[in-house]
Parts: sequence; C-alpha cells; structure tokens
Amino acid sequence: MPLSPLSPRRADAFTVAVAFRPLVTVVSVRGEVDLMTASTLHAVLDSLLADGHAVLALDIGEVSLLGAAGISVISTVATRLTLQGGSLTVRAPGALAVRILELTGLGHLVVTTAVDADATPELAAEQVRGDHSWTVAPRAVAPLPTVGGAGVPARTDVVDAALRLAIALAAATIDGADGVSVPLEREAVIGTVAATNETVLRMDAHQYSTDEGPCLAAARDGRWFHIESLADETRWPAFVPRARSEGIASILSTPLMLADRSVGALNIYSNAASAFGAREQRVASLFASQVSGILDDATSFDLVGEGLADALGARALIAQAQGVVMTRRHVSADEAAAILRRDARTNAVSVLLQATQVVSSTAAVHGASS
Amino acid sequence: MSSAGEPTLDALEAARRETGLSIAELWRRYFALGGMRTALEIDAFLNGALLAETRDRDVLAVALNETFAELGRDHRVPYSDDERAEAGEP
Repeated sequence: MPLSPLSPRRADAFTVAVAFRPLVTVVSVRGEVDLMTASTLHAVLDSLLADGHAVLALDIGEVSLLGAAGISVISTVATRLTLQGGSLTVRAPGALAVRILELTGLGHLVVTTAVDADATPELAAEQVRGDHSWTVAPRAVAPLPTVGGAGVPARTDVVDAALRLAIALAAATIDGADGVSVPLEREAVIGTVAATNETVLRMDAHQYSTDEGPCLAAARDGRWFHIESLADETRWPAFVPRARSEGIASILSTPLMLADRSVGALNIYSNAASAFGAREQRVASLFASQVSGILDDATSFDLVGEGLADALGARALIAQAQGVVMTRRHVSADEAAAILRRDARTNAVSVLLQATQVVSSTAAVHGASS
Repeated sequence: MSSAGEPTLDALEAARRETGLSIAELWRRYFALGGMRTALEIDAFLNGALLAETRDRDVLAVALNETFAELGRDHRVPYSDDERAEAGEP
C-alpha cells in the first residue's frame, strides 16, 4: 500500500460554527479536531449545554482529522446530553469518520444521510424528529451495511487511515518524537503502512533493505527495543550508519501484538539522543496497544464480514427458491423449506445448489420438486 | 414432538462436536440456509437453555449434514419429517 504522509498541520484549519434552528442546534466543525483544537470544541458544546440547548447535531463533514481527543469530546457530550434528556447526533458523510466512530463505540450517534457536498445542515434537523424525545439516532443494523458495501472503502484503506491517525497522535503526544511509523506484516511481507514523514519512511526502508534494525527485531521477536543513542549502538552494523546519516539519534520500537503474535511495530524516531524517558516509553506502549486494538477490530471485522457476505448471498438464493416453491406448490414457507431439503437429498446436492437450480430454471422446478 | 426422528438437541450437539464446527461456524451455515435465530440463541439451544422449534432443528440438521458431506463422512442427523420423506411426498 503506497504511503501518503499526513499533510503538515495548518493552525488556521479549525473552525466551529453554530446555527440555531427551530428543532435542533447545528454545530458545524471543519479542519483538524486534535489535542489542541478539541478543547475549543468542548468549550463551545459546553456553553450550548449550559444555555439549555438539548438537541444538538454535530456536523463533522468538513473535519479532516478526527483524533482521540475529538472522539472523547463527542463521547462525553453525548453521554451528558442523554442523561439530561437531550440528544446528540453526528452527521459524518465520510466512511472513515463513520468507521472511527464505530470503532470507538459511537457508531449509534451517526446519522446516515446521503453523501451530498451541497447538503445544508437542515438535513440534520430533519433527522432529529420528535425534537425533545431523547432517543439518539437509531442504531444501524449491525454488520449488514458493511457487506458488499457501496461507499465503504476497501478495509485496508480504512485501517491504514486509522493507523495514520494513531501515529499522528503519537507524534504529537510523545515529547521528542520527530517521526512515527507503523510497519506491518501483510501476507508474510513486512512494509510501512503509515509514517508521519519522509525521513521515518526512509528509516523503515533502510531496515528492510539491510534486513536488520530495531523495528524489524521488534516486529519479528515481539520484543520492545529502545536505542538510547545510535552513536553507541553496536547491533545492526549495516543499518545504524544509514540511520545516523538521516540525522536520527534514538529509536523506540514497540511490537504490535495480534492474538499473542507480533505482526508489526510502532516506531518512534528522534533526532536527539536519550529522547525517550520513562513517560515517553509508557505513552508509546499505550499507543502500541491502541494500534493493536485497531488491527484486532479490523481483523475480526474482516472475518465476520467475509463470512457474512457469502452467507447472505446463499440465504437470499434459498429464500428466493422457497418463494418459487411456495408459489408453485401452494405450500407454507416451512413446507417449502422441507421440500427443498428433500429434493436436495434426493439429488445428492446441497440445499444451496438445489435452490440455485430452482431459481435458475423453471423446468428444474417442475423436474425436481413436482 | 414427532416420532419420526426429530433431531434432538443431544443428537445435534453430538454432531456439532463430531464435525468440529464452532458455534459461530455452525450459526453461519444455519444463517446461510435461512435460519432466523441469532448465534447466541443457537448456543442456548445446543446447551439446553432454550427450546428449539422444529424448523430451527431441521435447519441446524441440514447445516450439520452438509458439513459431514463436505468432510466425506457418512453421518446423518435425522430430520423431523424423515419417515414421510422416505415414504414419498405428503
């Protein structure tokens, strides 16, 4: 997967606008909701709550980065509003934002509206019916919308975007971090799936090309490596000179665990020696477990999603075949199911194959079940 | 209860263990065959914590029998209408 480093932060990118509508107060946010800007958003929402605005719609359609701090604000405000008998809905046209909210347990807040760049916040107002009832947006039917999903990006895209978000937060949070990357094993090949800048991308590449280095060691052995000073480092003789030529002086590599198996690493690089003290190491391990969590969710999501896609296809076909049998034989659904089952047995085929034959050919219906 | 070899919970659960299917895998097959119950309910059926309707038992039996067939094993969980089926259609 090609890497797209995050664009440099723009201090002016973040804005909050509030529109007071008859049934709902629409808060439109744009730009990056990160550690620095989330407190502003929180303050705005707090003042609205204090003024008695109980039905809020948060439009994050223009948000370019939704960080953990922003998610925490959304979660806190949603809980408070629910307790007060109000409601918070989130309008998030981006599949990524929706996925992030789902991963963090806030998926039920999302109001799914058609993705329409020109849509005005009134859309949100229409969604919040029965204004003072305190039900939040209806919960989406769990896994079904993700199957065969129109508009849902390929899973690896979503995961990689979530990883980029996590490393951007790690880079911003960990003092002394000049770059963060996540190399990941996919289909038995290790590659960098997220990096905050070109230097750390090259740092990872140096390790792949020399086949050594702390990040590879962390990913392969599931062990944690802290190189306080590359000047004094004697392991990895091929890699270390290249790292020093990039201006890197210290490295912290934490393995990413997936079901007791190491599948990658969270690498934090610094231009200063001894940049990572006890606090930084603790924060790094927190981020590593968060990233492992993203991967874990994505993996189980993958397994369930793929299995369900097949199962749904089979189920639909069998239901159609039952419908055909019900119509032709004037029988109940249960009787139609029994007929399909018996015919499948007589023909020594699976029920699914029998159903396929029933649906695909009228002649087969007569031949097999009449 | 039909006397025609309705799949008992014991027979279903024994067959599930023999196929090596997990509850989740069995449920996925059951769901693909049109079953309407959740995996949690299937788990409860097989553990005797919930009564299964004949229709659900039959669908579970199909799921298990098709698994046996895929494994090339000659084991068959009976259906509720087996006798009628053997004697021809009603």
